[in-house]
Amino acid sequence: MARYDVAIIGAGHNGLTAACVLAKAGRRVVVLERREVTGGMCASEEFQPGYRSSGLLHDTAQVRSAVVEALRLDQHGLDLVAPPAMLLTGADRPGVMIHPSNEATAADIAAISAHDAGRWSAYQDFIGRVRSVIEPLLNDTPPDIGAIGTLQSGSLGTLLKSAMSFQKLGRREMAEVLRVPPMCVADWLNEWFENDLLKAGLAHGALVGMWAGPWSPGTAANLLLAGCTTTSAVKGGAGALAVALERAARHHGAEIRTSTEVASVAMSGGSARGVVLATGEVIEASAVAASCDPRTLFLDLIPAGLLPVAFEHRVSVVRARGTTAKVHLALDRPLEFAAKPGERVERARTATTLDDLERAFDAVKYGRASDHPVLDIHVPSVASPAMAPDGCDSVSLLVHFAPHALTGGWTDAARAALGDAAIAALERVAPGVGKAVVGREVLTPADIAARYGASGGHIHHAEHALDQLAIRPTLDTMRYATPVANLYLCGSGSHPGGGVTCAPGALGAAAVLSRR
Amino acid sequence: MAKRYDAIVIGAGHNGLVAAAYLAKAGRRVLVLERRHVVGGAAVTEELYPGFKFSVCSYVVSLFRPHIIRELNLTKHGMQLIPLECSFTPHLEGPGLVRWPDPHRTRREVSRFSQKDAEIYPEFSLAMTKMGFFVKQIIDSPPPAPGSMHPSELSRLAGLVGHLRNLGPDMVELHAQLLTMSAVDFLRMWFESDALLAPMSCSGIIGTFLGVHSPGTAYVLLHHYMGEIDGAFRSWGFSKGGTGGLSIAIANAAQAYGAELKVSAPVARILVRGGRARGVVLENGDEYKADVVLSCADPRRTFITLTGEQHFDGDFLSQLRRYKYRGSSGKVNLALDRLPDFTCRPGSGPHLQGDIAVAPSLEYLERAFDEAKYGEFSRRPYLNVVIPSLVDPSVAPPGKHVMSIFVQYAPYNLKGGAETWPSRREEFGDAVVDTLAEYCPGLEESILYRQVLTPWDLEQEIGLTEGNIFQGELSLEQLLFLRPAAGWARYRTPIRNLWLCGSGAHPGGGIMGSPGELCAKALLDSREV
Repeated sequence: MARYDVAIIGAGHNGLTAACVLAKAGRRVVVLERREVTGGMCASEEFQPGYRSSGLLHDTAQVRSAVVEALRLDQHGLDLVAPPAMLLTGADRPGVMIHPSNEATAADIAAISAHDAGRWSAYQDFIGRVRSVIEPLLNDTPPDIGAIGTLQSGSLGTLLKSAMSFQKLGRREMAEVLRVPPMCVADWLNEWFENDLLKAGLAHGALVGMWAGPWSPGTAANLLLAGCTTTSAVKGGAGALAVALERAARHHGAEIRTSTEVASVAMSGGSARGVVLATGEVIEASAVAASCDPRTLFLDLIPAGLLPVAFEHRVSVVRARGTTAKVHLALDRPLEFAAKPGERVERARTATTLDDLERAFDAVKYGRASDHPVLDIHVPSVASPAMAPDGCDSVSLLVHFAPHALTGGWTDAARAALGDAAIAALERVAPGVGKAVVGREVLTPADIAARYGASGGHIHHAEHALDQLAIRPTLDTMRYATPVANLYLCGSGSHPGGGVTCAPGALGAAAVLSRR
Repeated sequence: MAKRYDAIVIGAGHNGLVAAAYLAKAGRRVLVLERRHVVGGAAVTEELYPGFKFSVCSYVVSLFRPHIIRELNLTKHGMQLIPLECSFTPHLEGPGLVRWPDPHRTRREVSRFSQKDAEIYPEFSLAMTKMGFFVKQIIDSPPPAPGSMHPSELSRLAGLVGHLRNLGPDMVELHAQLLTMSAVDFLRMWFESDALLAPMSCSGIIGTFLGVHSPGTAYVLLHHYMGEIDGAFRSWGFSKGGTGGLSIAIANAAQAYGAELKVSAPVARILVRGGRARGVVLENGDEYKADVVLSCADPRRTFITLTGEQHFDGDFLSQLRRYKYRGSSGKVNLALDRLPDFTCRPGSGPHLQGDIAVAPSLEYLERAFDEAKYGEFSRRPYLNVVIPSLVDPSVAPPGKHVMSIFVQYAPYNLKGGAETWPSRREEFGDAVVDTLAEYCPGLEESILYRQVLTPWDLEQEIGLTEGNIFQGELSLEQLLFLRPAAGWARYRTPIRNLWLCGSGAHPGGGIMGSPGELCAKALLDSREV
């Protein structure tokens, strides 16, 4: 008899979530993490003496409160708070703040556009109504397409719930729900708003991790999905979530081994029976749950020749072209935005117009990193002063866009140029910041691939394109089980996708639990 | 006393003519009113230079429905299609690529670029052909009505689901990918070589304001595999006598069934009283009364220009306003003294008898799109060139040729404004000729006559709003039950007795005849005429 019920590959937030769910249900669980730290893309790390980053993924506004509550993470130190206000800022323009409260946001928008201020609540109301249709689908195992149209189709309850909400919207709005997702986010926002800064700032949210610009069809879906899942954020950021998950997992008896690299899935007769470590050690387990990305799992960790050729092909065409880089800055003084002099701002996005975003994306199509990147900014030391020395700031920049497959490769010079371009972009909205930088860490998509083991350096494990949202990652693995018996998926490459949600981890674990 | 008609059709485009023919065949008294002096709309042939007959706008017949040909007896009325022989992609270096109807020949051509691509080519064609059924379902019947609980709607939906289930889960996945992916991403699931990917992906962008990397462009690839489904050899071809030849055949059929046709009869407005369409008024003041009015003009012209905003509620108007046209293509038509001589495949030959695509690489195509995105026409555009006089001698004097060049991208909304197009027309024409001349030097000297059509011209001359050749973008959010507006996708309009029968209705643009046919059939079913 195997020593463990479940071996989990990867101690990122999804792997840890799966570990919590399984250990809480009484399973003997071991989590194997290649790196010396847990948390994966949520890990908060010291990148400069005295300065901690907020995690590669610094936006925690999509974390599923249902998962947090079910795992009683509050008992392990986790606090959910309202998402921080977001400053949308471009050079030479007054900024606008998106607050958790619609009234406050509308008041702020009114300063730049009375028309848009009036539209804000209608926009939020629309998302609120659509939420009842979409949210159930995003928080449950997707339906079984192989059994489409039959009563065997899984998740029937969820589908019915969603269908009933859909009917309740009425004919006109039903059509609207079907119309919006395939649109490009630029067109959709143009229908609502007139102010460039507002539209650019909102469009940002639809483009994280995308191989797409605001004029690419299908990007509206991401804005809609993000809107339908934003609830509350984690106090202390992504790193705090990782810490709480690890505590909870250990509390329930899960074993977590860091600096423990899985070399392959141990196979016997077409089924998984554990994992083989890089050291050669074999860890026997009745089931294996992989929170790594699907390409890495099936193309690297399963010994060659054991998977059907057609399946291997399907995995190989999953698109995971990283377009996001990360820059961490250590500042010797507080970060100050020109748009909000003297104010402490925790979250911000740069871009003056939709075309700024589009031009930044254009570079990627030709294998270049954008010379004028747009930034998604988190300043963790605003809410957690311990993240930086007194009177200083730690700044986290998600930099769009930089291709994993850079023409000429990611040399040290290319990495430095990326860092410089990001600082220059920040300088435009926070003049003087360049002189305040006392240390920096630049993670190119290639670095992200190397550090986090993510194929293509993709922060979502697979792009959030419409087809890969609907069938994720492939037809035969979209319900977490795989063609390999006893092998399950539980990472961002699975439904409902990437970002700090904990949903794939919880749903993957549920699939493991339901197998017996 | 003016004569009364059962139905008036505004516009003698191919869809208007198809609708008129079906109504007349069913015994209705029909009058077709055409603004221009010729029939055909964008499917028109004109002798712009003595002896040279140009397919001015639309230049190949793509998916014209075979059952319409049969039901309207169009062959008897002079319709004749000449299949496109091949597809030639010239390169500046090397021999270029020609795809032939003969799979072995194509295989040899493709293998010059990639052995793997050559081998998988037939497998790809097979998968696409299998999916053709799905498209056929879509274009040969009115759009589904999601959310409707009507038994007939539910049974149609169940039929589609059942069909998909029978195909197997793999095909369900492939359909989901086809509908949403970019042409390039979709093709890359099979192919690797740029030389093949570039010309193949082009069919996904024709008439759209999208690049080959833009999601949503894969679906149109399927249109190229519909031939076998239709039981015809191949459904892509030239119409004898130019594209207008097809329109004339439909007009002949309609007239043989008893329809009346007036050209140079521009409709000024649709008469609406008490929420009902009663007839039309021409620009010269003549009035024609009818029980129903069908319009094959695009939605904006039909509802805003010809009907008037005051007749519609706010929701419908806002849907009309957000419906996107933004034409992206232009046309250059040339009368040539001699055949072009391509450096990569010199001399005349069968490779010139199909379509010629200037699409040397994916990067070339994407850069062409990027220029247009920011309000400029492409300096090095994607070109789709045909020389119909090679296979249809009736369109040019002996030894001379007509060349039709479809050009993308030419954005209607230039940075300086759409109205600056006339002052830039010749500059645009020069860019097109210069581009092509890189592949066939000496082209300039062989030009006897040149016609340049910008999106502005397509709007002003042909009546296509913003120069969109499909009467509205064929993007997912403007297809099916959303074309042209939610709640009004079944050819009826908010004005009683006013029906829409052009490409702005389901299933959209292209020379299919489907909107005209489906509208006429829906109207006859309704027993309102």
